[in-house]
Amino acid sequence: MTATAERPATTIFRRPKANTGLWGWITTVDHKKIGIMYGYAAFSFFILGGIEALLLRIQLTQANSEFLTAGAYNALFTMHGTTMIFLFVMPVSSAFMNYLLPLLIGARDVAFPRLNALSWWIFFFGGIFLYSTFIFGTSVPPVAPDGVNFGNLAAGGGPGSFNFLASSPDGGWFGYQPNAGPLYSPGTAMDYWALGLQILGLASLVSSINFIVTVFNMRAKGMRLLRMPVFAWMTTVVAFLLLFSLPIIAVALFMVTFDRQFGTLFFAPVGGGDPILWQHLFWLFGHPEVYILILPAMGIVSEVLPVFSRKPLFGYSAVVFAGAAIAFLGFGVWAHHMFSSGITPVAQAAFGLATMTIAIPTGIKIFNWMGTMWGGRLWLSTPMLFAMGFVAMFTIGGLSGVTHSVVPSDWQQTDTYYIVAHFHYVLFGGAVFGIFAGLYYWFPKLTGRVMNSRLGKTHFWLQFIGFNLTFAPMHWLGLQGMVRRTWKYAPEMGLEIWNVVVTIGAFTIATSIAVFIYNWYHSRRHGELSGLDPWDARTLEWTIPNPPPEYNFAVAPEVTRLDQFWHMKYDEDEEGRAVRKPDADEMITKLEYDGLNPPSPIHLPAPSYFPFVMAMGLPIIFYGIIYHEAMWGKAMIALGVIVSLVALIGWAMEPLEEPMEHHEDHDDDEREDEVVEIETADFLKAEEAGVVSDE
Amino acid sequence: MSSEEHSHPTPGQYWKIAAFLAVVTAIEVAMFYIDRQLELGFLNAAVLLALSAIKFIVVVGWFMHVRYEKPLINRFFAGGFVLACALYLVVLTALGVVAIRGG
Amino acid sequence: MSDLAHDVGVDAHHEEHESTGIENRKLGMWVFLSSEFLFFGALITNYLLYSNRGGFEGTYPAEIYDIPFTSVSSFVLLMSSLTMVLAHNALSRNDQNGARTWLFATAALGSVFLGGQVFEFYEFITVYEMTLSTNPAASAFYVLTGFHGTHVALGVIMLLSLWGISRRQGGLSERHGLNLELVGLYWHFVDIIWIVIFTVVYLLSVPPV
Repeated sequence: MTATAERPATTIFRRPKANTGLWGWITTVDHKKIGIMYGYAAFSFFILGGIEALLLRIQLTQANSEFLTAGAYNALFTMHGTTMIFLFVMPVSSAFMNYLLPLLIGARDVAFPRLNALSWWIFFFGGIFLYSTFIFGTSVPPVAPDGVNFGNLAAGGGPGSFNFLASSPDGGWFGYQPNAGPLYSPGTAMDYWALGLQILGLASLVSSINFIVTVFNMRAKGMRLLRMPVFAWMTTVVAFLLLFSLPIIAVALFMVTFDRQFGTLFFAPVGGGDPILWQHLFWLFGHPEVYILILPAMGIVSEVLPVFSRKPLFGYSAVVFAGAAIAFLGFGVWAHHMFSSGITPVAQAAFGLATMTIAIPTGIKIFNWMGTMWGGRLWLSTPMLFAMGFVAMFTIGGLSGVTHSVVPSDWQQTDTYYIVAHFHYVLFGGAVFGIFAGLYYWFPKLTGRVMNSRLGKTHFWLQFIGFNLTFAPMHWLGLQGMVRRTWKYAPEMGLEIWNVVVTIGAFTIATSIAVFIYNWYHSRRHGELSGLDPWDARTLEWTIPNPPPEYNFAVAPEVTRLDQFWHMKYDEDEEGRAVRKPDADEMITKLEYDGLNPPSPIHLPAPSYFPFVMAMGLPIIFYGIIYHEAMWGKAMIALGVIVSLVALIGWAMEPLEEPMEHHEDHDDDEREDEVVEIETADFLKAEEAGVVSDE
Repeated sequence: MSSEEHSHPTPGQYWKIAAFLAVVTAIEVAMFYIDRQLELGFLNAAVLLALSAIKFIVVVGWFMHVRYEKPLINRFFAGGFVLACALYLVVLTALGVVAIRGG
Repeated sequence: MSDLAHDVGVDAHHEEHESTGIENRKLGMWVFLSSEFLFFGALITNYLLYSNRGGFEGTYPAEIYDIPFTSVSSFVLLMSSLTMVLAHNALSRNDQNGARTWLFATAALGSVFLGGQVFEFYEFITVYEMTLSTNPAASAFYVLTGFHGTHVALGVIMLLSLWGISRRQGGLSERHGLNLELVGLYWHFVDIIWIVIFTVVYLLSVPPV
């Protein structure tokens, strides 16, 4: 922490100094705190998205059910998808990337700490803006240009007991046009959707720039790119995917907003617009997006498997290059989401072929993960179970994906539950299992304690069983003709029995998550203390105390090889087996002590409230756009612009760090003033662990 | 003021580059009118695109300094450009705006 | 005791430990600009899709372009890249006055360009009655050139801010000097997008028969 700052001349309000309490969190630029906030927010949305799914499942348990109205059903599947993708998986990956990236590469923070805070606050306000649609959004039945009501049940109504939430976005998470346009989805709900995603996209774009510069510029000495942990590599690859795919969806969302608000004719067939254009633009983003969703989890698994197999990752370079190849190829396959939309046979063949090629780098990764485990001394801890679950479940999802790449086969599968099965196997069986592996694995890093193992395994098995009960039947339900995105199915289709099984599975998943949540909160307070190295890990982030001090590394590390921490603890005997060095434990104790006692003052970026304020301006502008026809709507646009602009100017005038008061002398006498303070809780824990003496 | 020590073009050279760019622009505009008279079809497009490519490269290379920068910068920038061209070319083909000759 | 404060590596700001040898903010700007190709590419693709799709009501942009007018404004924007680079050059020789002058000149030329755009839109709307809603080609034209114009406007704001800071502080410090270079990169980028737009949208566009 820095010493107190003098009042800078360039700001009206005093620069914040706090790093505790609510104000501390609002003004923080520390990547770890930002990561934590992303994590809690994302998990809250996970619960909301899960509730949305459970409501859908209740509706689908019975044929011809009218528990939900059609309008509510459409809104719920739209928001379930939107929430899980944009408000859960992406931000939780961001949580991991934010918290870990600097630690993995030996840095004190990311390249642009305030920009990092900005990304988080933009996301935060964007999520609130998007969800405010449940309160403010309207969805009215569309009316044909000749004034006659289409008689369409879908928008906000129809028979059924549960119509609440029906006036929320209901055009699908993919917002196909013109269905989600002004003519067929009047009202404001889809505007909240489009503008909400616009805000969220901006947050990720800013983040991606930050991470790319961080990885390229801020690695510790000796940390060559091909010595970085795989998770750091996957973060980089994802950053490039975001960087190049988000501008495309930004344009598409602007176009749909303009169609809805300002009368442009991009997608309105009556005026000459082309609906297929939307599909191209959306999927040009949408396909890289799914790799954005899975690659961080693949990175996590690549970290967890070696630690709990007590073996290095099999074929590190191949895993890294495969990740990059998946991303690169991922830009070339988007129209495989459009096989039945009327594109030419040549296009279908080309995209089908391209899609098949992605199986190659994916397969390399899977074989390498298996190779990592093969012959290892497996420690079946909770994170390891989730990582192994990932490998198995993702493989199944990948295999169904391969069947989609065969075009005529896909024509049968499209818009059925077979597709729903596929993407849930890769996104839930894949990304979510990977995320839980990461949460259990890095919980000690975050809190200094270990999560309860028995509860963890209960969570795993309940989730594993529940997950397979939920999504496996969807494969054959789909092939038997159960249609996606449809509110009801007829009883004579014979789909009911397996739908009951699916719903039981869904509630089993919900139970498993409840176990996890209990475990998380219980372990935070009462979990066993972890010490520095609870998992006998391999990478740099485990060389600093748990939880890390604000400055991360007391002294910037110097890296000489991959998996350096492992090699600090282990030698190899003549047969190549790992032999623990006799002084390894002593070294770990010393690491913990040194980590809490840096030899000299450390200059950190000071907190700032400008990112918070600037981020707040965006939803104000967008609320104004939705209601721009009213005077107050226009006023809101102006207000939002002013808020953001003023914050931007303040930010530009504010230096990144504040000057420290005692800078010159390093006498022992003055050292007491300069000793870096650590948070009381950390200090107590360190004392408890006998690492720091209470002089 | 940036901290890299490398050779910059001199102001005089910048003026010459600007003059060159102005001349190319004038040729482009001339081509527009020539094509209106002569209807050169594909040749018109080819010439105009080539001319703007030249302007593009000159501004990027000299004004944006890419010629004098570390190669990493060129790779990032070119990467984005190439990716955009490739993706959108495919989209335009799929939408029928660009037809593959002989196809 | 050795002066470890300076040996301690990664200090987020003034001891920017840059593995690539390129300052963080500069690398960040280049990365951002490379993403903008995808942004403008989508808008240009959109325009190309619709610009000569026939059969719809109303005026098409390609029917009403004023090529001489647009040629002049393109020339103006191109020359603003010259003044921009002269500003940067002046600053690198510590000619603060020169830098300030050329910065202002760049902002002025940019504003002239913007004025031209506004005038063009005004003509199109009032005289030819081509609005956002006339047909998809018109929508595409306005949104493409509108976003480009917005980028120019943001650039002008940044240029004037630097100019203002320079006036107030009697010159640009090293930190602000890097910002001048970054604004310059942004400005040139906006210029090269216009180079593409001028050719592809104005010179090569053909209305439907």
